[in-house]
Amino acid sequence: MKKFLSIGFVTGIIGQIIGTAVGIGLLAGIRALMGLAPKAEPAAVLGAALGIVGFMIGVGGFRDWFTWAKGEDTFEAEEFHDQPGIIRYWGYSLDHKVIGVQYGILSLLLMALGGTFALIFRAELAQTGMQFISLDFFNTLIGMHGMVLIISILLGISAMSNYLVPLLIGAKDMAFPRLNAFGFWLAVPASIVIVAAIFTGGFDTGWTGYPPLSARAPLGMQMFFVAVFFAGWSSIIGALNLIVTILRMRAQGMNMFRMPIFAWAVLATSLIALTATQLIGTSFQMVSFQRLFGMGFFDPAKGGNPLLFQHLFWFYSHPAVYVFILPGLGIISELLPVFVRKPLFGYKWVAMSSLGIALVGFMVWAHHMFTSGMEEYLRVPFMYSTLLVAVPTGIKFFSWTATIWQGRMRFATPMLFTLGAIIVFLLGGLTGPPLGTVATDLHLHDTYFVVGHFHDTLFGGYMFPLFAAIYFWYPKITGRRMNETLGKIHFYLMTPSFLVMTFGQMAVGLLGMRRRIADYDPAQGFQPTNFIVTIAAFLVALSILIFFINLFVSAKKGEVAKGNIWESRSPEWSILPSPAPEHNYAQPFNVVGDPYDYGLKGSKFVEIAPLQAVDQKARGTHG
Amino acid sequence: MSDSPAPAENKIMIASANPLFRKGLEKMVLGRYGKSTIVRATTTTSETLELMESWQPDLVIVDYDDKSISRAEFLHQFVAGDLPMKVMLVSLQASGAVVVYDRRTLTPAQAQDWLSTPQLAPQTEALISRRSFSMKHFVFAGVLVLVLTFLVDLLLSTTRLLPVQASLQAQPIDRLFDLEIIAISFLFSLIVVFIVYSLIVFRRKPGQEEDGAYFKSNNPLEIIWTIIPLSAVIGLSYFGAITLGQTRQADPAPLEIKVVAGQWFWRFEYPEYGIVSDKMYMPVDQQAKLTLTSMDVIHSFWVPEFRVKQDLLPGENLVRELRITPTLIGEYKVRCAEMCGTSHAYMESPVIVVSQTDFDTWVQGELAAIGTDPAARGERWASTNGCRSCHSVDGTTSVGPTWRGLFGKTVELMDGSFVVVDDDYLYTAIVSPNTQVAKDSIPNVMPQTYKDSLSDDQIADIIAFIKTLQ
Repeated sequence: MKKFLSIGFVTGIIGQIIGTAVGIGLLAGIRALMGLAPKAEPAAVLGAALGIVGFMIGVGGFRDWFTWAKGEDTFEAEEFHDQPGIIRYWGYSLDHKVIGVQYGILSLLLMALGGTFALIFRAELAQTGMQFISLDFFNTLIGMHGMVLIISILLGISAMSNYLVPLLIGAKDMAFPRLNAFGFWLAVPASIVIVAAIFTGGFDTGWTGYPPLSARAPLGMQMFFVAVFFAGWSSIIGALNLIVTILRMRAQGMNMFRMPIFAWAVLATSLIALTATQLIGTSFQMVSFQRLFGMGFFDPAKGGNPLLFQHLFWFYSHPAVYVFILPGLGIISELLPVFVRKPLFGYKWVAMSSLGIALVGFMVWAHHMFTSGMEEYLRVPFMYSTLLVAVPTGIKFFSWTATIWQGRMRFATPMLFTLGAIIVFLLGGLTGPPLGTVATDLHLHDTYFVVGHFHDTLFGGYMFPLFAAIYFWYPKITGRRMNETLGKIHFYLMTPSFLVMTFGQMAVGLLGMRRRIADYDPAQGFQPTNFIVTIAAFLVALSILIFFINLFVSAKKGEVAKGNIWESRSPEWSILPSPAPEHNYAQPFNVVGDPYDYGLKGSKFVEIAPLQAVDQKARGTHG
Repeated sequence: MSDSPAPAENKIMIASANPLFRKGLEKMVLGRYGKSTIVRATTTTSETLELMESWQPDLVIVDYDDKSISRAEFLHQFVAGDLPMKVMLVSLQASGAVVVYDRRTLTPAQAQDWLSTPQLAPQTEALISRRSFSMKHFVFAGVLVLVLTFLVDLLLSTTRLLPVQASLQAQPIDRLFDLEIIAISFLFSLIVVFIVYSLIVFRRKPGQEEDGAYFKSNNPLEIIWTIIPLSAVIGLSYFGAITLGQTRQADPAPLEIKVVAGQWFWRFEYPEYGIVSDKMYMPVDQQAKLTLTSMDVIHSFWVPEFRVKQDLLPGENLVRELRITPTLIGEYKVRCAEMCGTSHAYMESPVIVVSQTDFDTWVQGELAAIGTDPAARGERWASTNGCRSCHSVDGTTSVGPTWRGLFGKTVELMDGSFVVVDDDYLYTAIVSPNTQVAKDSIPNVMPQTYKDSLSDDQIADIIAFIKTLQ
């Protein structure tokens, strides 16, 4: 029992329960002293917020900082050692690899949860009429599906970046290991709070939470706001850490243009996350305050304007889309050369196109508002800027194609998912221009065409690359390979099912099926297509279930991975053993060539640095 | 940046006694690295060694099959120098096999391997055949791109992708869709054909262990595929802007219809005639100017057959406008396209496009129907103000309490007290819905705006209507 109570996760949960109780009690107490009747909403909001703080105290997130505040010293992050075994994943570890895996586990859990929400409402949509669930529960589910998966994606990206970036650039850890752990653990209570939204009345706004609807939605809306607010913090902290790590902690000789391309993608992503996430936190906080304190930011009756919210919201939420996809595109560029045995074509152009997408991504938000009733003269300029995204994205596609051209391709599971990612993301990209062009968007906006389009971009830009990355780096984490046969079943089941699903969604969308509807008019003739889409969605879910089984079983029973199993030039494969040891490289390495010179005989990317160089190279890592 | 990687080789030396080898490679090198590259050629061992020493090229291309250049002497000088230099061994014998060594990373085993392989007689045809091999694939894939583009476009343009076209505004929009479909078909085919072709033709065959062809960048190519999409994008935006302009063309004398949305109903007011209706009647081929406003949350006006869409915002200063000219007589539905709460899915109302004569008849009928019976008027106000979307009149339970049998009933309120439903209670329940909420209802659901949007006479009419529902 005592051992159980020393696990960070458990003490965190206890802290969250206490914090929530304190928050609710505090408000109820104050109101009771003032002789007022208890009020649920303010108490719940304060409870949720203090609950998250309570979790962070419970898990030990503030311990070292409090120690420093007292003027006492703590150990250096480099001296940190985890408990051996699986237990380390349940506690407050400072090792970037452990934190990466923790992010991954939480992300996959939320993915399963968010996917399950989709299965429930897809079952409802298989037929016209309401069969299984109420209208309100349906509406809650679509919003939950959206936001739970967005948080899952953000965590999945953090998982990949945290685990891979220090390994790829030859650092011992992230720049700020304590901040890193803090950022991860913040996401845990935030995830608990967002799930709590279902049990506190839900909300009927979709994930966008537009007021005035969100200003009058049930209490679940507030839980949603609180959760997104803190998950946003987690994202900002993580982004800051990654930027510093990439800029300051690269191996000797690794100038920016010799960095692995994934590091460029993470850099671009982190720049967006660091500078834009505040806006979504702010916009949700403003609606929350409108509800709690009557501040009429978005209430026309009080001089507010509901369109203001949409501008604030999309100013983050559009760039956020690039946060979701850029790391995935980086994974594609990272894995392609390994499996086609050729250099990445146009490395500098691919690297710069990530920054280009990030930059242009900031100037396109109002394309979500072409029909919103914003000033009409804004529509044409935003159409131009939106379509401009096609240019850097095109560079990526053409470069991948040129990389594949004449390549000696090997079809291991990671490669299959990389190819799937390119094709699916291509479909997502090509269905973009009709939405970005105002005139055709007048028809398509808020239809299932949009649903099909963004599922293509997110699967192509995130899900497929994530699976590719997991199959590829899993041996580095566990020392064992995932089962190749199950991996191939996963791929060959998921890809066609997924394509059928999104093609179906786009077809009904073009014909006039609106987004976010619990039921549809039988006269429009959407029933057969919707039925097929539902079947396809269940097949996608089945394939992911196979993936989960593979993930668990291979950890114990997978084929042992020895050495450089992918014949990669990258240091984590060519130098490190599997699983990767604590604090990564025992001896620093020098970068002596380009990262992707496959096919250039005798060339090397990295070589172990001579011993005397160790002292100059060592850089401190301070939390 | 001081430690940036070496620039692309721009001093290149070609060593071969074979003139075809020298010329062929020189052309290839200039083609790949651009005109800024200086290429010099040597034909004998001594000439080669001399130039290597005096000129210090970045890259030496050596004819691997040429016996007249001594490998041992060359290698000796190559490994002795300390300036960065690479050597590329090109063998035309082994159908254009290429090996590149860097002076700094050359291992003794590689040097041995280099010296011991027997030299063969030159065969220039292989170089030419290798280039045409690459060219052949390129042309072949290019043809496939065109074929697939045609097929995809044929498939998409023969499938019924859009609903019936029923407005003047839909016509330019549909033309733009056609243009976009052509562009999508082409780009899809371009990428997919080259990838799939590569997968099939160049994939690793069993037993093959060597890497793929070594080429890593081509700036002119990158610039081309930046500029072409850029101009395509500007072109598409231009057509998009023109089309948008066409959908917004305003007639000087449109039919004015005020569209009011609320949770979850549509109301259509015809100020010219003093008519309020829950169905939208439109005369064909006459432009309607819709002024759009919402009573509560954001809704969106969309008739898929008309294509155009516009959100309705709450607030007097946020009234928006939409112009629609129906072109096809028929019955359609306006469907709310912005998430607006519980019954969003069902927020649909008929939109009926009729001939001008039929429209006039409808107007006359509506004006005559307003009538003198308060209960009949109340029934109209109830349906045109959205009451009926939450309150049934046949006893079924909906979002709000049913009106059948409501009058005279005793109701338990949220605070536990009981009240008899009479005129006063109903009046309060309409103008201030949160004052006395019944126990099994949810507060804050019913709009609190009826005290402004309904006159006291209209409320009295509605109460008279409720009284008849026993």
